[in-house]
Amino acid sequence: MRFHLSIPIAGVLTLGLVCAAVLAQQKTSIARAPITPIIVNGHPVDGVDITDYGSDVREINLDGLKKILQRDGNDKRPLLLNFWATWCDPCREEFPDLVKLDGDYKDKGLNFIAISLDDITDIKSEVPKFLNQMKATMPVVLLNVNDPEPAIKVVDATWDGQLPATFLYDHEGKVVFKHFGKIKPDELRAAIDKEIKK
Amino acid sequence: MKKQYALAIFLGAVLIVAFAAIAGSGRTASDLPAPPAIGTVIDDFTLPGADGASHSLASLKGKNGTVIIFIATKCPVSNGYNDRMEKVFEDYKAKGFNVIGINSNSTEPAAEVKSHAAEKGLKFTILKDDGNKIADRLGANRTPEVYVLDAKGKLAYHGRIDNSQKLETITSNDLREALDELGAGKAVTKAGGAAFGCNIKRVS
Repeated sequence: MRFHLSIPIAGVLTLGLVCAAVLAQQKTSIARAPITPIIVNGHPVDGVDITDYGSDVREINLDGLKKILQRDGNDKRPLLLNFWATWCDPCREEFPDLVKLDGDYKDKGLNFIAISLDDITDIKSEVPKFLNQMKATMPVVLLNVNDPEPAIKVVDATWDGQLPATFLYDHEGKVVFKHFGKIKPDELRAAIDKEIKK
Repeated sequence: MKKQYALAIFLGAVLIVAFAAIAGSGRTASDLPAPPAIGTVIDDFTLPGADGASHSLASLKGKNGTVIIFIATKCPVSNGYNDRMEKVFEDYKAKGFNVIGINSNSTEPAAEVKSHAAEKGLKFTILKDDGNKIADRLGANRTPEVYVLDAKGKLAYHGRIDNSQKLETITSNDLREALDELGAGKAVTKAGGAAFGCNIKRVS
């Protein structure tokens, strides 16, 4: 008697198509939690380099960005930075994945800051509006610089300023993972997991 | 029997590829093509224009050089530079430089590129780079992003138009300075500069 493989093949195909459909439709629903303060080297990032507009989004300049990137030997946590803007479509599309990631890694020792490149005139309007829609939980700052180049170069020498851009730094301040364009969540999580385990 | 096993293995491979295609839509840094170094001769290419006609780079070269700008219809950064790009085109025509726009966004079809140019008063030739082949060849990643070729077709500048999206805070007119130096037969002092922009929407 011939053994027909067509039935198990059809079964595997169907299973594969169902899994693919589920993957493509990942939705997140995170309850809005209080915004965490930005902690660098054990201290909240504050002072003259950060201007507080009373909304959840604070303005930083180049010095503020450098402060965020500074690592001291005591803070062993990896630092995740995501550069985005409300006018950047792929940035908006990947945001739910970033919110989910923040929820999952907040208590696992990841320092995650989202940095908006929106215009300063949107710091009290479009930016918090979008963040509220997203139920964002990670700290968000808006980078306001006259010349983008020194800021881009201090983040990573190979970055040309395209958005979105995501960088993971180890506790020594070295870039251990970077991604331009929409993130691949699994890839990013794997990179974070690797750093957290160290 | 053997044929059916081969079929099963083939279908399994197809599934794996399908997973990968659905799961991935961005690029890691290593995926992006590296831009050519300053001094590299940029080979000729032909692309359809937003006007429907085909154009070769050779036919669009300026006597003293060519300015290629990767642009978008929907990116606010690129649109914020529309007037400045048109002004460079108008100001430098007489100085022997031609400006070409290239739209490599898979999300912005030719008809949209054409109507956007008409609406925004962009009179320089705009080419549609389907499949982002020229963006790949030049290692372009964002809009706007500028490449300047000298009279011999060598890359002389690769970077930004100026250092500020807002007109009132421009302190460095990088592209114009480079063109002025080329026009005077001098070497370009600052051959590039980084700026924020929307990533080019490549086909996956």
